[in-house]
Amino acid sequence: MRLRHLARSLWPPALFGVAFLVLWEAVVAIFSIAPFTLPAPSAIWTAFVDRFDQVADETWVTGFNAFVGLLLGVVFGVLASLITVRFIQVEALLTPLAVAVNAIPIVVIVPILNNMLFGTTSQVPRRLMVMLIVFFVVFVNVSKGLRQVSATHLELMRSYAASPTEIMRKVRVPNATGYLFTALKIAAPLAVITAFVAEYFGGVQSGLATGVRNSLNGSKDVTWAYVIGASALGLTFYLISSGLERLQRGRHPAD
Amino acid sequence: MSDATPQTRAVEVSDASMVFNPGTPGEVAALDHVDLTVEPGDFVSLIGPSGCGKSTLLRVIANLLEPTDGSVLVNGKSAHQARIDQDYGMAFQQSGLFEWRTVTKNIELPLELKGWDKKRRQERVREMLDLVKLPDRGEHMPWELSGGQQQRIAIARALAAHPPLLLMDEPFGALDEMTREHMQSELLQICAATGTTVVFVTHSIPEAVYLSDRVVVMSAGPGRITEIVSVDLGRDRDEDTREDDTFYKKITEVREALRGSEMSAEARGIEDR
Repeated sequence: MRLRHLARSLWPPALFGVAFLVLWEAVVAIFSIAPFTLPAPSAIWTAFVDRFDQVADETWVTGFNAFVGLLLGVVFGVLASLITVRFIQVEALLTPLAVAVNAIPIVVIVPILNNMLFGTTSQVPRRLMVMLIVFFVVFVNVSKGLRQVSATHLELMRSYAASPTEIMRKVRVPNATGYLFTALKIAAPLAVITAFVAEYFGGVQSGLATGVRNSLNGSKDVTWAYVIGASALGLTFYLISSGLERLQRGRHPAD
Repeated sequence: MSDATPQTRAVEVSDASMVFNPGTPGEVAALDHVDLTVEPGDFVSLIGPSGCGKSTLLRVIANLLEPTDGSVLVNGKSAHQARIDQDYGMAFQQSGLFEWRTVTKNIELPLELKGWDKKRRQERVREMLDLVKLPDRGEHMPWELSGGQQQRIAIARALAAHPPLLLMDEPFGALDEMTREHMQSELLQICAATGTTVVFVTHSIPEAVYLSDRVVVMSAGPGRITEIVSVDLGRDRDEDTREDDTFYKKITEVREALRGSEMSAEARGIEDR
């Protein structure tokens, strides 16, 4: 039943995708568009297969940076929201803090980190940048989940003379679990994009964005081969994180 | 069940006042020099128009609010100490069940916070589920239960630690009329079985009369107790009680007490059914 439902919901986008590729191939052939302007899908596929090992290596580098940054961002985001919600009870203090973190032009930090702290042979600045972006998403969402607990639950816990730590463990944290997985679903694809953008700002000659940049002078089919890698990576991160979210939500009714 | 000697009053509110936002244009005198005594085993309802301070009074007894003036004794102790000792259980209009906990885990919560071990908790949960007549719902999640069943679990949770006092804030307000009447009878049976004292906030005159030994009628602006109506319907009340002449007479008495104290438009907030 579910498989048939899946098949039925999949064929329209699949049909559209195939039609789009056919049209693309046809336009390139009919108008004789040069490969360094826009390569045909078939040429891109050939380039992808020819350079599969190389594309896979760079995808691994970018993916690992994104993963490490995601992990650090989630850990620090959760810790920071636990600490602020526990010790800063007033929302009026927390919101400007969150906005301030968000207002940092994170992208410009990478070259600074590259030049000043870690040198140009390190992947660390890229991971730090991913971490900062993920941190913000997790921090805002989890803080909200920790804070937006039902008034009845709070009165009930006070009537049990529960300590703030007990209220945190038994009410706020369980309430925020759903918010954490929602944040993860948003943050995971963002982590890939951020890792990709970070590579553009120099540093080590590795990663998908480096591959894209270095191939821009030549035939564009190689560039597009790296784009395939980037798409696959983003899709993988999204599928895993939304799968986790669905798994977590499965224990709850639809709200 | 309780450490209280027979002389100890379940609740003793003396000259309690509660002013919200003092000294500002939004100043509200929610309670104005209120005295209330509840004897052990009593069922007392608080009724009155919106803003008469009945929920405030309940929260002052529960020590969820600190009165601006006056004193509150619960079970012979300060309200604060009574809260620390979990001398009362509480139920609200929203059942307030934790949706990530099973029914059993919900009832266990106050016992967990008291530091009971697992075996002792499980025994008590079984006892409470039998008491509220839902013995086979322990492993269900709250959303799998009907509204009436959720309220029963909330009552089971409130009574899990065997507190001598039960504080209820319109617990049946969100239920349909049939379920509501059924729950009222169930509550009386539970209280008879456990000997629990109850302070019960409600909007409904028949509910107050059916349940209570005494109905405390309050008026708004500032919140005061204007009259206390004794309901001498005996302890063994059942569905026939609702047809009883005395029942109707008491409903009229409470209604007139509400009207007499509150000729203003706010009295229209009272359900007249």
